[in-house]
Amino acid sequence: MGQLKMTEVRKTYGTMEVIKGVSLDIAHGEFVVFVGPSGCGKSTLLRMIAGLEEISGGEVAIDGTRVNDLPPVKRGISMVFQSYALYPHMSVYENIAFPLRVSKMPKAELDARVRRASSILKLDERLRHKPGQLSGGQRQRVAIGRSIVRDPQVFLFDEPLSNLDAALRAEMRVELSKLHGELDATMIYVTHDQVEAMTMADRIVVLDGGRISQVGSPLELYHKPANVFVAGFIGNPKMNFLPVTCLGADATGVTVELPGAGRLTLPVSPRDGIAGQALTLGIRPEHLSAEGGDLRLSLMPKVIERLGMQTVAYATHGEEETAFNAILPGSAPARAGTPLSLGLSAADCHLFDAEGQAFERHVALSALDPALMMAASEAG
Amino acid sequence: MINRYRWWEYLLIYLGMAVLLIFILAPFLEAFLVSLRPLDSLFSVPYRFVSDHMSFKAYVTMWQSVPLLWRYMLNSFFVAGSVTVLGLIAIIPAAYAFSRFEFRGRGLLMGAFLSVNMVSGAVLIIPLYKVMQSLGLLNSYISMIAPGVAFVIPTGIWLLRSYLVKIPKELEEAALVDGAGRLYILVRVIIPVALPGIMVVAITTFIAAYAQQFLYALTFNSVNELNPLPVGLYQFFGRQKVVWNELMAASLIGIIPVMLLYVFLQKFIVAGLTSGAVKE
Ligand SMILES: Nc1ncnc2c1ncn2[C@@H]1O[C@H](COP(=O)(O)OP(=O)(O)O)[C@@H](O)[C@H]1O
Ligand SMILES: [Mg+2]
Repeated sequence: MGQLKMTEVRKTYGTMEVIKGVSLDIAHGEFVVFVGPSGCGKSTLLRMIAGLEEISGGEVAIDGTRVNDLPPVKRGISMVFQSYALYPHMSVYENIAFPLRVSKMPKAELDARVRRASSILKLDERLRHKPGQLSGGQRQRVAIGRSIVRDPQVFLFDEPLSNLDAALRAEMRVELSKLHGELDATMIYVTHDQVEAMTMADRIVVLDGGRISQVGSPLELYHKPANVFVAGFIGNPKMNFLPVTCLGADATGVTVELPGAGRLTLPVSPRDGIAGQALTLGIRPEHLSAEGGDLRLSLMPKVIERLGMQTVAYATHGEEETAFNAILPGSAPARAGTPLSLGLSAADCHLFDAEGQAFERHVALSALDPALMMAASEAG
Repeated sequence: MINRYRWWEYLLIYLGMAVLLIFILAPFLEAFLVSLRPLDSLFSVPYRFVSDHMSFKAYVTMWQSVPLLWRYMLNSFFVAGSVTVLGLIAIIPAAYAFSRFEFRGRGLLMGAFLSVNMVSGAVLIIPLYKVMQSLGLLNSYISMIAPGVAFVIPTGIWLLRSYLVKIPKELEEAALVDGAGRLYILVRVIIPVALPGIMVVAITTFIAAYAQQFLYALTFNSVNELNPLPVGLYQFFGRQKVVWNELMAASLIGIIPVMLLYVFLQKFIVAGLTSGAVKE
């Protein structure tokens, strides 16, 4: 079984604290993605789980056993590196067989395992080649092959697709998801790419400066970001933020005043004593529309990108020229330099306090859970 | 990158190379010409590079004038080869440790090795003689091999370390995750990947050892059978005259093993052996 538990895990380099107390439970068979901007400590955290980096504080346990002081191989993990880390002097076969050779596995079983891994990864034709003769995608598959022959309980991936081009990356995403289904193992996957996180994860762990910012399913993070950081990180182009003033709150929600645009009552859980405070309103670019809406905003488009399926308008709002982006239909009549009036619905808005913490949105559960989503659409 | 020179820049570059090559190769050419000429015509005034009756006779007669010539050549090869092998046995693990592990005194130790590098064996030859004498090692192969090994190690470590630090850390980490121990990683991963670098070190070590042995043999050894070629060549210095043509012939033949070794080892210095290991 590949169950993993981290308790108050810390990492310091000299006086610099890089991981500032991370606690997380990962169930067997989960596909968990650590995501966050470059330098937030994703790799460090993963390498501590792997046993490549000493754990300065706290505890990592796999299947209930404390593994802080165990060498990597005793932890039942295997790891795939961003740079593939293949042995250039060995054939693909020997690269995949390497962990088994180390453990002195009998020839027949070793051969069977290598063949099985290579057939899963469609490398049968390539077993005699050297890594230098392979394409990037094939190399990464060899690296994955090397990690699956040992039948580890936990797979660790450190940005395995970052070196591939966009098309191959999309293909490998699908293959990795399939592999996860076939192997019945826990996978922990590190990436800075939110698309990889959203598409593959059962649960996403957003890291920010060595702390967990939020843990949740992809849709949970999309619909109910816990703070400004997560709200800005998930979604592309990123969420727009506007400073607002709170006018009051009641059971239906919080009423805010947008400078120069009007009032809006947002369906979020109110808190006491917030009237008069400066808050931040968040609205995703894809939730702006050319017509209708509870409130209309006037924007000044600077750059228009036409993608065919949709039009992305990079615009500014108000006197301060705050960046404000919108995703519109492919045929939207937007032009750079021509003012644009767009509508937004109160139900789509997010609200954050001065510390950046979100007010809980009233979102239907069916929007968060894919299973419920299906049920809802079948009923309706 | 566009890298075009003007015609006069090309001229200067080739001129420079020509001068350098002439300096390096002229002695070889002269040695070869001398080896072909009869002894009596070598001292003609004015000096001539080519004379009548040139032949390869010296290459035959030298084996008779100095019967132990083959033995000297073998000795040279054996001493330099031993120095290289023993040196590498020390250099590879040391360079690996210096390139990978943080330990106290690492910088100091590297500095110490570098400064040893700067002292040539000649300065230490008298103290070394005393050491050899008190250890009873004079007049043996060991007396020529041991100091040779000692003096090639620092250079070798510096050379190989700079190669090893360029091998990606992930390669070892991957092996570590797969359960390999340090020694296993060194033998199965690092050494094969570093083979081009190791060969460069082997060649420089061999050449250095080949050149060094003259001094050690001259000082520490007086047993004729153990002498390497550079000392053995003195046998061509007769009582009345020096047999220059045979001496040159023997010198040139003595170089051949080194050149053969060079050609053989060069095969291993394949560029791009690490290609496909990692993506930078
Ligand atoms: N060996 C090290 N010594 C000192 N600081 C380090 C070391 N490794 C990583 N760091 C620091 O730790 C932080 C997190 O690094 P890392 O985990 O690699 O980030 P990420 O993978 O999220 O981009 C960075 O600020 C980095 O500078
Ligand atoms: Mg990283």
